[in-house]
Amino acid sequence: MKVTAPRLRGGLIPFLAVTVVLAALPIIGAPRNWLLYIFLFSIYLAMANMWNLLCGYCGLISLCQPAFIGLAGYTLVIFTWNGLPVYLGIIGGAVVAAAFAILISIPIFRLRGIYFAIGTLVVPEVLRVIFLLWRPVGDVIHGKGAGYMIKGLTEVSMTDIYWLALFIGIASIFLMRLILSSKLGLGLAAIRDNDNTAASSGINIFRLKLYSFVIGAIVTAIAGAIFYMSQEYVEPISAFGMRWTMTLILATVIGGVSIEEGPIIGTVIIVMLHFLLARYADISLIIQGVILVTIMILAPQGIMGTLRKTRFYNTLLEAAMGR
Amino acid sequence: MYEVLADLSTPLIMGILLGGLYSVIALGLSLVFGVMRLINVAHGDLVILGSYFAYTVMTTLGIDPILSLVLGMPVLFLIGFVIQKYLMARAFGISMEAPLIIAFGISLVLENFCQIVWTPLSRGLTTSYTLAGFSLGEAYVPLVYLLDFIAALVVMILLREFLGRTYLGRAITAASQDRRASQLMGINTARIYALTFGIAAAISAVAGVFLGLTFPFTPLSGIAFLIIAFGVVILGGLGSIIGTFIGGIILGLAQTLGGYFFGPGAQMIFIYVMVLVILAVRPQGIFSR
Repeated sequence: MKVTAPRLRGGLIPFLAVTVVLAALPIIGAPRNWLLYIFLFSIYLAMANMWNLLCGYCGLISLCQPAFIGLAGYTLVIFTWNGLPVYLGIIGGAVVAAAFAILISIPIFRLRGIYFAIGTLVVPEVLRVIFLLWRPVGDVIHGKGAGYMIKGLTEVSMTDIYWLALFIGIASIFLMRLILSSKLGLGLAAIRDNDNTAASSGINIFRLKLYSFVIGAIVTAIAGAIFYMSQEYVEPISAFGMRWTMTLILATVIGGVSIEEGPIIGTVIIVMLHFLLARYADISLIIQGVILVTIMILAPQGIMGTLRKTRFYNTLLEAAMGR
Repeated sequence: MYEVLADLSTPLIMGILLGGLYSVIALGLSLVFGVMRLINVAHGDLVILGSYFAYTVMTTLGIDPILSLVLGMPVLFLIGFVIQKYLMARAFGISMEAPLIIAFGISLVLENFCQIVWTPLSRGLTTSYTLAGFSLGEAYVPLVYLLDFIAALVVMILLREFLGRTYLGRAITAASQDRRASQLMGINTARIYALTFGIAAAISAVAGVFLGLTFPFTPLSGIAFLIIAFGVVILGGLGSIIGTFIGGIILGLAQTLGGYFFGPGAQMIFIYVMVLVILAVRPQGIFSR
């Protein structure tokens, strides 16, 4: 029997206080670096939370998250180039990603375990080739498509984008909590512990995993769209690149897979690494790869997983909950 | 009708020859998969590392890429051996997804290592015979494509004989069939696994050289060839050398015919979609038992 670790309950007031402080930062004129840090943190957090939902709770190692990010970026381009507002573009990106997730789930949901991972690995590669060849809007340049500027961003200030990012980051935490305490989450936990038993108790495994996959696609796409609003430029090689997958896996694994607060800790570390290693851009990915391998071997449950085993943390937790 | 056939003969012949290259690329993946049930996501990057190694030996020492394999195979064998012995062996005990995530990490390390050492520029193994070719009926065949095919035959026959006739080869086969039983028979499976990974990496060195002779490559090419290799393994079924060969030829034909009918830009999409369709229809492989 698998003992469920204590889930964080309550703590809503400190949580809201932190949110308000973070949201107020641009108004009180915090340094630009801080804002950038929190912006990236929120974007990565939303994506990492969704990856944790898929990997940690559904057992789906999805390597196709860049597909949703890239699609969101390109939807934003297509919307803004056709004169539609940027905000509609974000929603459009979410809808496109959801539709795409449902479409690719037809072949890849027939796969299990490691086959699923490889099946999903192919998807962003296909999209990358398509978007290298295809120019959805605008004039053809040298007969091939490639990068696009995102139009219509003049009406959106950096502060607005910051708030959007913060919103999706915070929303993803709430969403995770909502999912895990709902029927969907209970079903997922049952599947994770023993899928045969779950299936025989009337849980529709396929449907629950599909729901999670689509929810993951939507949130990842929204976060991706907001990220590209700040970049103002989309091009296929980085938009559908493995670098995204790396960041998400790293954030989740460092923090702790299938632990609710794992991605939060992991993302803080990832963003810190991001800035620490910015000077050594060349070797930064090598270092990240080494960290990933090391953590996976030495502390496969991540920081939170390891912390939870220590008595100090548990006493602290109990004290915090007033027990 | 005759003209169409004559027109098609070039992509057909080239597809079959290219299939040889693809089966060599896939052999290492198939071997590791067959023995350890591990899909080595870093396989494509090991192949590309083989290409770059040959490139360095060629440009600095002036040795022909094919001859450079005398150096390249041991070096990659060692890398593969170390990866399995010190990283993967531990990963198997942790969880289902740990080996995959670790392989993913290794893949990124290798990819960026190549990027730093050899820059992101596209390279190729250009030799005196790169542009040579010959006519076969209506078709014009580049010499390197024929070399790919010959290399595939040689590697496959050698591997087959090795697995069937030597003690080590039989031990590998035994370990792949039943780990527990082979352990009881006195086989050190941990060592066998490390050796298997090493052999797979050494085959990747061969694949890398012929890949470099045939196509230009960049540090990021690994994923594309991983997907091709995976498609070949899926088509051919697990652990079957003949199946891998047939799978390679099918994918080679898919690429050249796809390129012939839909333009060279679309040929990779053709392969990717094919891999997805095969996965969806028959994930255990078409030729598997």
